[in-house]
Amino acid sequence: MTDKPPPPTPYSERPEWSDVTPLAQYEKANPLAPILYTEEYKDATGYLRAVVQSGEKSERVLQLTEHVIRLNPAHYSAWQYRYETVVALDWPLDVEMTLMDELADKFLKTYQVWHHRRLLIMCIGLSAAGRELGYIKQILAQDEKNYHTWSHRQWLLAFFNDEGLWAGELDFIDTMVNRDLRNNSAWHHRFFVVFQSGVREGEEDRERIVRRELVYVKQHISLAPNNASAWNYLRGLLDFNKLPLATITPFVKLYTAPLPAAAKDIVDVDNPPPGQGAELPCVAAVEFLADIREEERNVDEAETLWRSLADELDTIRKKYWEYRIAQARSV
Amino acid sequence: MAATTITTTMHPVPVDAFPTLTSTTQAETEKVLREHMPTADKPPTLQKNPHLQFLIRNFTQGMPSRYMSYDASQPWLLFWTLQAFSVLQIGMDPDTKQRAIDMLLECQHPDGGFGGGPKQAPHLLPTYAAVCALAIVGRPGQNGGWDSIDRKKMYNFFMSLKQPDGSFLVSQHSEVDTRGIYCLLVVATLLDIITPELVEGTAHFIASCQTYEGGFSSTSQPYYSADPSPANLLPFPRPALGEAHGGYTFCGLASWVMLQPFLPSTSTTKPSIDKNKLVRWLVQMQGVQAEMGGFKGRTNKLVDGCYSWWVGGAFGLLDSIGINPTSVATPEADGADWVDVDDSLFNRKALQEYILCAGQHPAGGLRDKPPKHADAYHTLYCLSGLSAAQHKLSPSSSRRKQLADAWVQVGDNMELRQRIFLDSLCYSEEEGTDTVVGGAANRVNATHPIFNLTVTHTEAIMGHFYGQTIPQKTTRLS
Ligand SMILES: [Zn+2]
Repeated sequence: MTDKPPPPTPYSERPEWSDVTPLAQYEKANPLAPILYTEEYKDATGYLRAVVQSGEKSERVLQLTEHVIRLNPAHYSAWQYRYETVVALDWPLDVEMTLMDELADKFLKTYQVWHHRRLLIMCIGLSAAGRELGYIKQILAQDEKNYHTWSHRQWLLAFFNDEGLWAGELDFIDTMVNRDLRNNSAWHHRFFVVFQSGVREGEEDRERIVRRELVYVKQHISLAPNNASAWNYLRGLLDFNKLPLATITPFVKLYTAPLPAAAKDIVDVDNPPPGQGAELPCVAAVEFLADIREEERNVDEAETLWRSLADELDTIRKKYWEYRIAQARSV
Repeated sequence: MAATTITTTMHPVPVDAFPTLTSTTQAETEKVLREHMPTADKPPTLQKNPHLQFLIRNFTQGMPSRYMSYDASQPWLLFWTLQAFSVLQIGMDPDTKQRAIDMLLECQHPDGGFGGGPKQAPHLLPTYAAVCALAIVGRPGQNGGWDSIDRKKMYNFFMSLKQPDGSFLVSQHSEVDTRGIYCLLVVATLLDIITPELVEGTAHFIASCQTYEGGFSSTSQPYYSADPSPANLLPFPRPALGEAHGGYTFCGLASWVMLQPFLPSTSTTKPSIDKNKLVRWLVQMQGVQAEMGGFKGRTNKLVDGCYSWWVGGAFGLLDSIGINPTSVATPEADGADWVDVDDSLFNRKALQEYILCAGQHPAGGLRDKPPKHADAYHTLYCLSGLSAAQHKLSPSSSRRKQLADAWVQVGDNMELRQRIFLDSLCYSEEEGTDTVVGGAANRVNATHPIFNLTVTHTEAIMGHFYGQTIPQKTTRLS
């Protein structure tokens, strides 16, 4: 246990705050499910309510909002009022950003820390963006799937849409996927970068890009076949580029049967085989093959595959596989 | 019995001899869940009493200081608790109701909307929580709460948050996200203030949040330049920011359902979503037997009790977008271990087992997963998920007709308002379609698939604001 620093002097005992009368929270109601606040929090929020009501925007308000935010980073009104104060005072944005570096790191699960950064970056402009990518990378190294952090990164890239910012993304994704190829956030980010945010210099040849992505995702499937993130990426990639599922039938079939005893000698980059530890047949591959058969209007074979999923390989989704059979039969 | 199927077919989620952080935390979770598996000899029971004690304790003794971060979500604490009571079939005494009403009204902002507490800025999320809590405890007339909601200012508050791409900020200087839009649409629907002006472009925005996986993300990016003016608004690309996620998917889908009456009729301008992809994503979120059939919120994440509602509950909305398994079902009945009246697309029985065996904290309240604490949020969403797994409410043409026959003409935009009223209230449960694991004592109330209120509470508040008398149901409905 680390020693907690003693709580700061209450605002009610600070001479520099003597001109402000704190505002109580409830005036009439006797609240249900009251929160048992600490004295420090009760004191600080009483003063916050008072300055919001008087409309004061000053340096001491920045200190007060920071204090409240540190006690409760989800206090969105404190954030909102802080932002308005920063703008009204023309407060140095680099100073605010430095504080945010500390707070985002501490409270990385709250919406507000990320949104406040975004507001500041919009004020500063492109010059803040490069540094921000570095900062996000650092946060994602400790919390690989943080939803806010990933969407913040995507916003930053799309908002500035600057070639220089986009340039390092594929390498960054590689780092994240290499660390954990099951990180779905990283796969989603790849889809966003490669397909959903326009075409960047050097990537105009879309057929080449599709081939590159197919190789990439197949390689990752071969390393760990039962990885829903990679299969979803593969489906998304074919769908987005309007390619039939049957484009990759030979690859999929390598994963729908039990693992062969001996590995093949010839390495085929289009059809990388499962590694020796693979647990086969792979449910995602069987599902994929069934979808290929349905696409080819071979309903009988699709039904056999769905049946094996429903009765054997993926029984929790029995209802869904039966629905797929019924749906295919009703066409 | 059901439980034996689980133990005999239980395999760990494959690691392919390639462990990563994801597979390691997954394996740890499976290990914990193994300790909680249902057994054939002991059917799981819903510990209603300890849960009630947990909820009452929160009300009377207050929330411990670890709830301090909920200072900006006080209407939520009330809604979670009150709605949990409703799902558990517990009514409230008049004094408690009045205290809740008075408290909620102090959270209403003078400029419209509700804040997370008194004198906090208005925000879409607490606005939903406050209005839904008022639907449970409020009533018409003086001090009843309902007539103190300033609907005109509410509307103006909503319009002040509107963005050129059809989305809404959750609050001034704040983010756009599908949860906020869901909250806004629920409130506007319940209070009869939803208009074509308010929701113009919103369906396009929602559609743009569907990701390649099929679920919905928090938001999408409409601008490809640092100059966010309407002139730079692009119809495409509008990429989703963030991956498909259970909470956002429920909110996106429920919003999509509420927006149906407002969709343009011409196909060239009509936004669309990929329904098959959505269904696939939803079913993929159900964990396998080793995960006890609980739901996860994202691909390759862990199961968590709250997704019982966000994902499990989303299945209850599929009928409203034209996905109805019975309409394509084959008549052959299989020799399943229980009478198969279940036309759901997910495993309702397994979800109930997850909630009952892993979701319940022995000391009362429900939770994400063992060994976590119970909290107010998970208590409600586990219970609502349990409700969604027990009951199947779907749009009923006979109920719709009853409501239409009783409809009286009040106010403007009659046709549209009537459609919204009927669409919202025509949900009913067909007799004999409930599936309660562990016996009738485990039964909880049905909850409305869009609003997460009981049908009775929804009817009461909508009847009030639309100026309608709700006709008696002629068949047994919950
Ligand atoms: Zn949860």
